[in-house]
Amino acid sequence: MQRMEESDADALALARAGDSEGFRVLVERHSRALFRLAYRMTGNEHDAEDVVQEAFLRAYRRLHQYDQRARFSSWLYRIAANCAFDLLRARRRRDEDPWPEGTEAAPADFPATDPAPDRLVMSAEVKQRVTVAMSRMSAQEKAAFVLRHFEGMSIAEIGQALDLEASAAKQSVLRAVRKVRQVLAPALGEVAP
Amino acid sequence: MTGDATLHPSPDDLVLYHYGEADHPAGLETHLAGCAACQAALDSLRATLSAVRAEEPPERGADYGARVWERLQTRLALSGTGGGRWPGWARGLAPRRLFFTGALAASLLLAFLLGRHSPRPGAEGTSGPVRERILLVAVGDHLERSQVVLLELLNADPKDPLDVSAERRSAEDLLSANRLYRLAAVRTGEPGVARVLEELERVLVEVANGPSELGPEETLALRRRIESQGVLFKVRVIGSQIRERQREAAQGPRKVEL
Repeated sequence: MQRMEESDADALALARAGDSEGFRVLVERHSRALFRLAYRMTGNEHDAEDVVQEAFLRAYRRLHQYDQRARFSSWLYRIAANCAFDLLRARRRRDEDPWPEGTEAAPADFPATDPAPDRLVMSAEVKQRVTVAMSRMSAQEKAAFVLRHFEGMSIAEIGQALDLEASAAKQSVLRAVRKVRQVLAPALGEVAP
Repeated sequence: MTGDATLHPSPDDLVLYHYGEADHPAGLETHLAGCAACQAALDSLRATLSAVRAEEPPERGADYGARVWERLQTRLALSGTGGGRWPGWARGLAPRRLFFTGALAASLLLAFLLGRHSPRPGAEGTSGPVRERILLVAVGDHLERSQVVLLELLNADPKDPLDVSAERRSAEDLLSANRLYRLAAVRTGEPGVARVLEELERVLVEVANGPSELGPEETLALRRRIESQGVLFKVRVIGSQIRERQREAAQGPRKVEL
């Protein structure tokens, strides 16, 4: 990783000097990681591709703002997370919420909740319930939850990535977890605290 | 949760503890060691959260980065055609494009609407699919031109007074076409496109009616407004959808709606 960061610094210096080769190296090196993040946040291949493009465009515009004390990959990651967040917000405003908060998913939407001997059936049910839980989250909650739960970012880092106060990022994660538990608990027999 | 180990932690405290974000983890650990109910609640929470796994993203090949770069350099080049704040290499990549002016776009739009909504029996002239293709090209170019203006403003260095006279002229030019496209989108049942054009219009109005030179504070404020509403991103999304429609329209006789 250290070697990667050193070579990022070389490529970055070239890019900042206006050399396309430097930026090309950075794009080619980090595209796949950004795509994985974008896909996890948007859940959609086409959207993830758009987020990758937008993230590199924003990064290019802000190269002069990059503080070399931070790792370039982390900086880029935060920009991509912010782009995905923008997209989620735009989508959220446009689309109707299929599962408004406070409503319970219809029984027909899930397989039977009785303990199933077949683990595959259980796994499919859990997966379906996770999808429902995610669809009940606001864009901010979903972005914060994905970054915390899947990407392992700290709440402070999430706040930076999404341009939120740390307290707002924390509350978003907590609300998202409540929604996950509300939907998943019946299937998993979770003990109420 | 305070550091008091005698208090039961709330569900939120346990979530934060699980993620390593508890304010007083030591006090909470002491409590958990002596409270079976809270330990069971934590175990249960962990079981639930461990069931939430990320869907594995589709694999991207080793050449993915090169493909991203290929698409990206065209867009960087496009952004560099406006104000000279982009490096020479980016400007040099600019494709030679014929942009429609606002007036021409408007006349195309009117021709399209007249042809589509007031068909004259036996009238000769441009066929429906061809008219639609022309319109798609015009709208696509309009959105790309708008992106250039937005990028110029977003890319501006807020430290210095900024001469935006070129962007202002572009915004004035784009504004009339934008209004017509928005009306067309409403009329043809494209509320998503109409909404994005409406948001774009607000920015264009602000730039077109604003001063030719912005101070650092004004530049920052404008940039924040553009970024907070995600206008550029939405314009890009709609633009890419329209490019997709262009491709479909060029490929076959399938009806393409705007």
